[in-house]
Amino acid sequence: MLLEIKTSATSTAVDYFPIVIQFVFAAGFVATTMFVTHILGPHLKTKKKLKAFESGIKSVGNARQPFAIKYFLTAILFVLFDVEVIFLYPWAVNFLDLGMGGIITMGLFMVLLLIGFFYIIKSGALDWE
Amino acid sequence: MNLLISLTALGVVAMFGGILKFRSMVMPLSVLGLIGASLLGVYAWNTNQSFLNDMMRMDNYAIAFSIVCMAGTLLTILFFHFFHSENEIHYAEAVALMLFAVAGCAVMVSFTNLLMLFLGIEILSLSLYVLAGLRKKDLLSNESSLKYFLMGAFSTGFLLFGIALLYGATGSFATTQIAYQLGIAGMNGMAAMGLLLLMIGLLFKVAAVPFQFWTPDVYQGAPTIVTAFMATVGKVAAFAAFLRLFQLCFAPSKEGYQLVIGTVAAITMLAGNIMAIYQSSTKRMLAYSSIAHAGYMLIAVMTLNASSNGSILFYSVAYTLASISSFLIVMVVQQNRNNDTADDFNGLGKTNPWIAFALAVSMLSLSGIPATAGFFGKFYVFSSAVSDGFIWVVAVAVISSFISIYYYFRPVIAAYSKQTHDPVMTMPAGTQALLILLSLLTILLGILPGFIAGII
Amino acid sequence: MNLSGVLIPFVPLLGFIINGLGFPKVSKRWAAWIGCGSVFISFLIASVLFIQSLTGSFESTTISLFDWIVAGNINVGFSFFIDHLTLIMLMIVTGVGFLIHVYSVGYMHDDEGFGKFFSYMNLFIFFMLVLVMGANFVMMFIGWEGVGLCSYLLIGFWWKNREYSAAANKAFIMNRIGDLGFILGIFLMFITFGSSDFDKVFAGSSAFATNDHVMVAITLLLFIGAIGKSAQIPLYTWLPDAMAGPTPVSALIHAATMVTAGVYMVARSNILYSIAPISLEVVTVVGLATAVLSALIAITQSDIKKVLAYSTVSQLGYMFVAEGSSAYSSGIFHLMTHAFFKALLFLGAGSVIHALHHEQNLRKMGGLRKLLPVTFITMFAATLAISGFPPFAGFFSKDEILVATYEKSPAVFWILAATSVLTAAYMFRLLFLTFYGEYRGGHHQHEHIHESPRVMTVPLMILAVLSTLGGFLGLPALFGDTHWLSHYLEPVFAANTRLTEHSESSLLEIMIVVLTVIVIAVIWWWCNEKYVKKKVAPAIVEDQLPLWYKLSYNKFYVDEIYDRVIIKPLEWMGDFFYGKFEANVIDGAVNGLGRMTVWLSGQLRKIQTGNIGFYVLSMVIGIVLLLIYGLSKMNLF
Repeated sequence: MLLEIKTSATSTAVDYFPIVIQFVFAAGFVATTMFVTHILGPHLKTKKKLKAFESGIKSVGNARQPFAIKYFLTAILFVLFDVEVIFLYPWAVNFLDLGMGGIITMGLFMVLLLIGFFYIIKSGALDWE
Repeated sequence: MNLLISLTALGVVAMFGGILKFRSMVMPLSVLGLIGASLLGVYAWNTNQSFLNDMMRMDNYAIAFSIVCMAGTLLTILFFHFFHSENEIHYAEAVALMLFAVAGCAVMVSFTNLLMLFLGIEILSLSLYVLAGLRKKDLLSNESSLKYFLMGAFSTGFLLFGIALLYGATGSFATTQIAYQLGIAGMNGMAAMGLLLLMIGLLFKVAAVPFQFWTPDVYQGAPTIVTAFMATVGKVAAFAAFLRLFQLCFAPSKEGYQLVIGTVAAITMLAGNIMAIYQSSTKRMLAYSSIAHAGYMLIAVMTLNASSNGSILFYSVAYTLASISSFLIVMVVQQNRNNDTADDFNGLGKTNPWIAFALAVSMLSLSGIPATAGFFGKFYVFSSAVSDGFIWVVAVAVISSFISIYYYFRPVIAAYSKQTHDPVMTMPAGTQALLILLSLLTILLGILPGFIAGII
Repeated sequence: MNLSGVLIPFVPLLGFIINGLGFPKVSKRWAAWIGCGSVFISFLIASVLFIQSLTGSFESTTISLFDWIVAGNINVGFSFFIDHLTLIMLMIVTGVGFLIHVYSVGYMHDDEGFGKFFSYMNLFIFFMLVLVMGANFVMMFIGWEGVGLCSYLLIGFWWKNREYSAAANKAFIMNRIGDLGFILGIFLMFITFGSSDFDKVFAGSSAFATNDHVMVAITLLLFIGAIGKSAQIPLYTWLPDAMAGPTPVSALIHAATMVTAGVYMVARSNILYSIAPISLEVVTVVGLATAVLSALIAITQSDIKKVLAYSTVSQLGYMFVAEGSSAYSSGIFHLMTHAFFKALLFLGAGSVIHALHHEQNLRKMGGLRKLLPVTFITMFAATLAISGFPPFAGFFSKDEILVATYEKSPAVFWILAATSVLTAAYMFRLLFLTFYGEYRGGHHQHEHIHESPRVMTVPLMILAVLSTLGGFLGLPALFGDTHWLSHYLEPVFAANTRLTEHSESSLLEIMIVVLTVIVIAVIWWWCNEKYVKKKVAPAIVEDQLPLWYKLSYNKFYVDEIYDRVIIKPLEWMGDFFYGKFEANVIDGAVNGLGRMTVWLSGQLRKIQTGNIGFYVLSMVIGIVLLLIYGLSKMNLF
């Protein structure tokens, strides 16, 4: 099965030791990096340097203020479809193994996505004005 | 499986009702579709087929609960249609969301794999989060939606964590495999932790104490029709999934956790009923009552014997019938009197005798008075608990039932023994007929309970 | 056996339904036809069965209509049982019942509740028939309760009079005490035999030893029921008060049929009683004491119906003494003859009361012999019958009981014989005070006195014939070996009864005949001296009375004693519990619980703050507690 991973049911604490090492390593890496950058980097504190960097454009006003929901909507819809593309990668890798069944399944998936996309356009979610 | 596919397709079609301008067709289509899906379910009775690499099984349990959920959805959609106003912008979307939710229910009650359980719960919950916020301009509705989402997301974490731990302990998501591994190795620490976390996640979904906090706020804030949907279809599906999970995976080791569920059930019944007493809003009172009913139904999950399935099914049907009709009456009263305290029911017996009759029947059924379905619902649950020796739980249940009579009878007494000068209540055509039908069904099941009790 | 037997009880039920639902729309004429007709149909069916039984083409049968109560191992069928004993009872109930119905048409003619009266009477007949036909003790109990209900309804028929409705309540409540014993007996039967069906219980009882505790308990409990229904010591005081009902009711329910239900029940359960001789002795003692006590009271009463009521109590005592001496068929024999002559006496008294416009006081009667000739002659026959003058009916039945008791215990025999003398004395006193001497009522009334209509006198005449000749159904051994009744009842009592065929008792019987005649002659002379020549009327002023007379006149103060010893303390307890205990303790606890719950609700709802942060915190605490509890329960912590 796709979702079955064979492990022995009687796993002991020792079996999880690699995970612990990975955990320690990950945490250690973050901590070390943060710590080291503070020591290694040059310290230059001017007013302009401390300002928020916004792609070279001069920042105006407070960042914490409400702005149009339209941005969110577009962003969320983008993320939605962006993420769904990820499903295509494992399928593409196993394209030959999965064969005709795979094509049909993925076709169905894409059709459903398109229905959703159709609904979004029809309901005017992407109209900016 | 056909049932599930048709439900999903139906939801997709309904979704386009609003934007493709066939809004008037949405209700008839959904009703016909739900009836058709139920017939597909009846057709698949006793076939016991598995689907999707054994991740789902359409056994009689799954079919029966699917049909109950679909019937509840059908009633809700009908009432939603009766009561929606012309400027309800998201009418078609709301119907579609209900259909998606019931598709989620169908997955929840037919899973044989924990992933499907999770998927079903999420399909249902996400639909409900949106439905709760159906009135976009209403602050309470927004609050309800957000609270529900936040707390729901919180509990989902526990559910997933529990599934992950079980996977760690047994190496599988399949219920058969989990039961098999637990049977060999016995309950170890990781599995027990997973079981308890799963239980916590599900207790949240059924709104048992101490995970009930979201219920009153969400039920009150959401549009009444959505509340009715959440309180009936959502709750029934959650219980069906709860019981199915424990029957399939953990039945042999029930001695270990029975008392935990029993304690939660006892506290839930008592707290739900006691808190309901002080509520002036009937809708909020019904929210607390739904908490109390979760307590009663938990007793059947606790006993976890051969009769549990049948008794929970019967209880679900009885509870769904009575709850939907009482929420509907609340809706009628809200529309006519702009409020829903007990005083707003004054004189209902004179002005609208049939509505008062339906109110009386549904309240009697909710409080479990004989000759209504609610009595046998409680009777089956209690008697199987007694035969398994859980007398103290049943004692608590009976005491809390006494308490419940106090607040259930308040609107009934107001309807029959108080006077009013308000005009006769008006309501959309067909409401009254459906209410009477529901009341008659409640009485019929109270006299001939055998129709449903022995079916699974 | 055909199913027509089932119809016997249901025809009167139909009459009850028609008259009951139709009242007052159904005219009096139709109500009378329906009321009497339905009983007559039952009588005809019963007669057919009876004749079949005589010709031998009848076998005792059980007719099961349906399963009535099915619970666990208990199965009570709604079924009827007909054997020779049932048939005798059926003949008495429907026959005498029919005559009294006809009589009532005349007696109740001017009453506005005419239709209601007949519906109650029909309902009574239905329940009485269920009582005697039931095939198990539960069915019998249903009839038992039903006749009690009808008795209550009919005693309080003139309910506007508070005393009458109080009498109805008294009858009902005292009967309930007996019923409790009966129903406990039935429960004990279910425990012991697993059934209350006659055949199963009687078959099962053979496994028990003589005087087995369980059997003694069952029979005594059943007898408590009989004490209540048949008005024996200590529950007899309701019967005299029950005379508040219309006189036909007194005749039917409180003389001929219902009050004999206890006698029937003991006879029916004779197999059980034979295993428990201790119970039989209790039956004898209670019966004997009742017979003596009530005869002593009867001798001084001034109300004509009260005299007859105490006489009934006394005669019922006779029947129990017979049964206590294992002479069951003699008991039933006396039950039958008593039904004839006591119904006749009541109906005759009713005729007198009717003629005197509801005057029941003996002081205001007298000299009615010429004015009411039919009533006088029939009542005279009945008086001879009850006094046991040969060859009237009462002689044979009483004689049989006396002989049976002599064989058992001479002491009982002598007490009973003395009671017979008392019986004759109070009956002749009643007869003389009513019919001889001069009329003591107002002169104005005297002119209006006239004989009752035919519809009332014909039943009197028929009953007079029965009272005169009824005894020949049971000729004693002295007159040849032809005791028809005891042969007829042989299948029922075969193993347990003593047939009076002993030749050595012939001498005793001759002695009884001679003594009876002499005693009655003496009483006749004495009454004539006292009431005709000296014109002594019953005393009015109590102070002048001798002690024994006062005691007897005031019924030995039994009602007063009951009032002091039982009713007053109960009322005090009721007052205490209602006024003090309930108001303070119970109500306090109940209301306090309610208030506490509401208060708790007010406190608990405060946890629903609406603040999500608080919610999540509470849930986390809950989760931690639940995990700790769960893991410790699964022994993993």
